[in-house]
Parts: sequence; C-alpha cells; structure tokens
Amino acid sequence: MHASYVIRRLLQIIPTFLAVMLVVFLLVRLLPGDPASAILGDRATAEIVERTNRELGLDRPLPVQFGVFVRNLLQGDLGDSISLKIPVLRLIGERLPTTLFLTVYAALLGVLMAVPLAVLAAVRRNTWVDALIRAVFQVGLSLPVFYVALQLLSLLGARLGWFPIGGYGETFGEHLYHLFLPALTLGLNLAAILVRTLRNSIIEVLTAEYVDFARAKGLRSRVIMIRHVLRNALIATVTLLGLNIGALIGGAVITETVFAIPGVGRLMVDAIFGRDYPVIQGLTLTFAVIVSLVFLITDLIHARLDPRAELS
Amino acid sequence: MNVKRLSRISLAVAAALTVGQAFAATRGGQMVFGRYADSLFLDPVLNDANLDIWILTNLYDTLLQPTNDGKGVQPGLASSYTTAKDGKSMVLTLRPGLKFADGSALTAGDVKWSLDRARNPEAGAWNSSLASISSITASGNKVTLNLKQPDPTLPAALATFNAAIMPQKLFTAAPGKNDAEKAKAFADKPIGSGPFVLSEWKRGSYMVMKRNPYYWKKGDDGKALPYLDSVRFEIIPDDNTRILKLQAGELQLAEFIPLSRVAELKADSRINMTLFPSTKVNSILMNNRPKLNDGTENPLSDPNVRQALNYAANKDALIQVVTYGTGKPMKSYMSSTTPLFDAKQPGFPYDLAKAKALMAASKYKNGFELTVLATSGSADDLALLTALQQMWGAIGVKLKIEQLDAATKTARYRANDFQMRTAAWTNDINDPSQITTYYAVFDNIESVHTGFKSAEIDKLFAQSQQELNAAKRAAQYQQIQSLYLKAAPIVYLYETPYPVAMSKKVKGFFQIPLGNNLFASAYLEK
Repeated sequence: MHASYVIRRLLQIIPTFLAVMLVVFLLVRLLPGDPASAILGDRATAEIVERTNRELGLDRPLPVQFGVFVRNLLQGDLGDSISLKIPVLRLIGERLPTTLFLTVYAALLGVLMAVPLAVLAAVRRNTWVDALIRAVFQVGLSLPVFYVALQLLSLLGARLGWFPIGGYGETFGEHLYHLFLPALTLGLNLAAILVRTLRNSIIEVLTAEYVDFARAKGLRSRVIMIRHVLRNALIATVTLLGLNIGALIGGAVITETVFAIPGVGRLMVDAIFGRDYPVIQGLTLTFAVIVSLVFLITDLIHARLDPRAELS
Repeated sequence: MNVKRLSRISLAVAAALTVGQAFAATRGGQMVFGRYADSLFLDPVLNDANLDIWILTNLYDTLLQPTNDGKGVQPGLASSYTTAKDGKSMVLTLRPGLKFADGSALTAGDVKWSLDRARNPEAGAWNSSLASISSITASGNKVTLNLKQPDPTLPAALATFNAAIMPQKLFTAAPGKNDAEKAKAFADKPIGSGPFVLSEWKRGSYMVMKRNPYYWKKGDDGKALPYLDSVRFEIIPDDNTRILKLQAGELQLAEFIPLSRVAELKADSRINMTLFPSTKVNSILMNNRPKLNDGTENPLSDPNVRQALNYAANKDALIQVVTYGTGKPMKSYMSSTTPLFDAKQPGFPYDLAKAKALMAASKYKNGFELTVLATSGSADDLALLTALQQMWGAIGVKLKIEQLDAATKTARYRANDFQMRTAAWTNDINDPSQITTYYAVFDNIESVHTGFKSAEIDKLFAQSQQELNAAKRAAQYQQIQSLYLKAAPIVYLYETPYPVAMSKKVKGFFQIPLGNNLFASAYLEK
C-alpha cells in the first residue's frame, strides 16, 4: 500500500526533528541556572562551577555547541548524561520500553473500556444508563491523574492487596501485573475522552440512512453495530486516540512518579530539574520521533477505515 | 534474702538477658530500603550529591570512620594513628589481612594512591579537605602523611567518603584514557572494601548490594559482618507510595518520611518511626551587603534589622507549623550534633519587645518591604514563609515571597541577586570547619553568598585550622559562634532530624548525623 506516501512522510520528519532540536537546544540554554550548579549544589565555589562547565564544553559559543551536538547526533551519539555520566542512548534504551509498555497497555485498557460503554450509552441514549456512564466519565475526566493514582493504590494495592504498590517487575507477566494500576489510571483518563466522542459518532451513524437500509435487509443488530456503525464511528475516534498518545506519554510523567516506574517520563523530570541538557535533548528527540510515527500510523489507519481519505 | 535484694538480682538478670538479646543478631536475608531518588555516580572522589555520599560508605571503606553519634572518629581500615609532636605528620597503621571485595589484598600502596587521587586539586569538589597533606609515603602496613602545617581536621577528613580506599590495580585497569573516563567505567561496577559490594544496578529502578565476604569488621557473634546477605534499594520518589509500600510489607525501611506524617506512623503498631539526629540546620540566608544588585539600598545590611528579624521569628511556633514538632530551635549556625557546638549559645529566643526596640534603633523605624526566594512546590517553604509574613508584620516588615525552581534559585543566589532565601545545610565531615568555611568565612563563597565578612572570625578560623590543642580549638569555636550570633547574618530557624520509618523487625540500622545510611550491623529479626 501507499509505500511512496509512507517514505515521503518519513523523510518529512527529518526537517521537523532539526527544527525541534534547535528550539529545544536554545530553550534549555535560555533557562536560568546551569548544569554545573545544578549538579554541584549551591555550595560549590565559582571556580569549581567554571571548571565543570569547561569540562562539559558549556563554556563554548552556542553555535559551536550546536554544531558539536548535530555532528554527534549524525554519528548516532546523543552524548553522556551530565549527572549520571552514562550515555544518553543507553539511558533511553533502558527506560523507553517501560514507558511504551505502559502507554500501549493504557491505550488498550482505555479502548477496551470506552468502546462497549460508548455503544451501550448510544444504544440506550437518554436513559439513566447513558446518563450514568457519561456522568462517571465526566467525573473521571475532572479528577487529577495523581489523585486517581493514589486512590487506586490505597484501595486495590494497600487495602485489598490485589496489586503490588509500584515497581515494574522482571518478566512480561510481572510487567502486566505491576503496571495494571498505572495503566488503569491512564486508561480511565483516556476512556473518559473517548467515550463522549465515540457515543456521539455512534448516535450520528445510527440515524444514517444506510443503517436503516441494513436493518430493512433484516441484518441482526449486532452485525449492524460491528460491521456498519462501529467501523464508521471509529474514524473520528482513531484520530482522537492518535492525538492522545502524546498526552498519554505526558501523563506517564505523573503516573511513573506515583507508581515508582522507571520510565522516560520520570527521567525527563529529573533531567529538567538537574539541567541535564543532553538527556533533555535526547528525550525530546525521542518524543518527536514517537509522536511523528504515531501520527503517521493514525493517518494510515484512518485511510484504511475511510476510503474517502486521500493519502497525498 | 530480702525483697530489695531479690529485686536487684532480678534486675541484673533482666539486664543480662537484654544484653544477651542484643547479641543475638540474626544472620542472612535481604533488607529492602525505599529511597526517594537513585544514586547518580558511585565514585567517592568525583561524586557530587548526598544521593551518592549517603550510601558510598557501604561500598568503600575509609581509614577512619565517623562515630554513630557524630561526635568523633573511630578506627576503620587503620587500626590506629599517631600525630607527630609538631603536628607536621601522621602515621596510620593498617589492619592485617585487609582485602577488597574481589578478594585481592588492600595494601598501603592502595592507600597512598587513593589519597593522592582524592587530594588532587583537579579532581572533584572535595579535595580541599585533604589540602594540608604535602606528600604520602607507604611502607609495609604503615602510611605516613606529611603535612604542610598541623591540621586538627585531618582525622575527620580521613573518615569522610572522599578519602575512601580504592583498588589501584582494578581502577587503572578500567577502560578509559584518563582518570575521569576510568572513573566512569569503574563506578559502573565498583569494587571497594566496604561491608557490601554492588551486584546489580538498574538505574532509576533498583540497586542491590551483596555482602562482601572479605569484610574486616566482626559482628557481636564474633563472625565477620555484615549480618545481611544483601540490601536492595528501591527507588520510590513519591512520599505516599513509599509509606504505602512500607505498610504493605514490601519495604522494610523508607527514608524521607514527610514530617507531617511522623505522628501518624508513630502510632502504627507495625512501624518503628525513627527520627535520627542529623546535622541539618534550616535557616534563612540574608544578603548582608549595603546595596542590592539593582542598586537599591538594602535594609538587611543593618545588624539591628537582622537581629530584629531573628527575635521576631517565633521558632517554637514555626517548629509546630513546619516540622510538626519534630525540630528544635537553632542555637548556633552549626547543629548541636556538630563537634565543638557550643551548648551555651543562646540563639535568638522569641522576643517581640526586643525586636521592636531593635527596629526603632535602626534606620528603618517605619518598616520596609522584603523579598524572599522560596523553592517552588515546597510546601515547607510556603508554610514557613507565610508564618513569617505574620510574625514580621508585627515589626513593620512586609514579606514578599518569590517562588523559583531550585536551579533558578541557585543561579540567582550565586549572582548575589537576592535579598533573602530559604536554605538547609548538612555536614559531610565530622568537624565544624566545613560549615564554618561556608557560613562564616568570606573567602570561600562569600559566606554562602550572604556577603557577611568578619575579620575577627576569619582570624580565629585560620588559627583554629592549625590548633591541635582540643581545648583551645573549642574556645576559638565558641568565640566564632558568639561573634556570628551577634552579627546575625542569617535568620536562625531550627534543626530537623532524618525521619526513617522501619518495620519493627529491622534492628541495628543507623543513619548517622552526617546522613550516611549504615547497613553493616543491620539485621532482620525473625
């Protein structure tokens, strides 16, 4: 399918990256406070701070620093973390799978919750069932993520002891078990966003003529729902889901902290507070890649579901 | 046998039993410790943060060691040391048969090499603690430190993490072109001679230390320490999660318990909520300079004003509001756990009348507006400063709070671009000289950037740095503390402990006033 389209889109990502990198490079350097002071704490003498900045190459002019950064980047080298003194690539390699696991897990749980409930709400629209589903998710949407996280932890983790309190585990099965509560936290938030859109699209499709036609043909309502209604109603939702993957990774910052998950969200927060420039740059680049890829995949799925959408 | 005698005997028996129980340490098992953040870089010389310092001593041993009460030093890898009469040299005798965690011998050569590396002015932020050493010679089991001048701080410096002894051969064999690169490689899988050795490290997630089978120190049962097979550090940044995990039995210890939850955990029958005495002092640093960076006049340059602010701050109330009763008022700029702390220092007891009189005696009879830098997101800073707003309002001082993230706050303060800022300090070395060089001596970093300068203190401090007579040195420090108090370059607030919540099964764990977490004698009761 549309191989040339995919290749063109992938190539378009490159200038986007360069622009993102330049902006991030300049932004982190505009922030008050330098990495040397951040690592050395406020006790260090001016002399030691100066020496550390020199060792890190941060005393050189900005264009030179950017040049070095791009040159290293082209060689696949993102530099070393200033505070942890290990390669950024290795750090991201260790932490990214965890966050991706959590994101996919949360997206799956979110969709698994959202679709049946949206269908139910749409079919029973304007009844108490519909009102209840919408009300619950409205409340869920307005609660802060950390609050939901802590409530789930205290109830299902500490009080009932069904799930471990934080951590990540070693095997795939353990990951599923350990990440259930954080994925549920993020999934609930996502489901809250999806339910409303999906419900409205389903209602819209249900009143369309071709659904009446299908019904007249004598097709069973379950078949109609899956083959005709859902397929069409999902188009808008897929786009929304794609857009929300970025937000999901952002939400992981909080969940990773509360649930003690060693992912890139927490790494980013630590790097910003520690002014760890190479880590901030490396992670921004990684996020840019992921978000671009997710958008591309969203577009492809959208095209698959809706033949009217042109890939050009 | 009369009743009195009987009870005395039973008391003695009970005492003997208690002692007996104290010796009955259980061997084996793993202790799981919940930390709020992971270590960064496990090199004793090139590290920078408490996150490293506070656990380094479990991996690397030093020649001498701080005592658990923070008051002095005790033998470590060196069984004894003698200082020459003129104070210009020190000879240390190593214990026989010392080994690193890989089984290789620890020699006087390793000691010389390690200390030479640690005192190299090009390496790390800590070399100044060993600056008095001019050369080191090693022969047999003796190491001689030749000194430029007598140095009373040297025993404490040798008991500090940066003077840890490392295996020269293994370090130099590590890949890398220079010391810094080799340190990076070595610190990934460090080998020292401490009670434990790093066996696994998943950054940001957990770290496991296994018992070092070659450790020299003996337990109460006569066999080699440590009692535990391993210690596992779990990284749990969120305070609530750390506490939940401890309550669920997934952790045996959790550090940095918010002081607001100490009372609740004390009431929990499964938990031993411990407040270890610390060297932490919490104060507000004032800019003492006549003019601020923007050229405006600075009321805080008047000692009357600085004293008035000190007297008008009700420490007991602040201790209740911010530390939930766990703190105690600062009496000196150094904590009461610091050696040579002068217990007779009065501090600044709350005295509103005196504060008003001091304000009236100053140029600022009608009060003034004052800006303080706070760390954004710090609930403690906000609670403290809003309380002070009210207290200082009573003497006509209007306090404005400016919240900044830590790195920005540090940048402002380094540039002397501040009027006041919240600050905390903990000592890294068992000697008053460290905090004094920072807080009271101008030449290092302008008395923590307050700009405070006292020729008298500078002179007394210089003398104290070479004074080997303990009583004379104590008298010098007493004077320094009195002079500092009178000048009041900072707002004296309170000392706070290290709050560690532990399962009731945890025994023998110590966090010393310097903050080091000691697991060598820790064990889990069955």
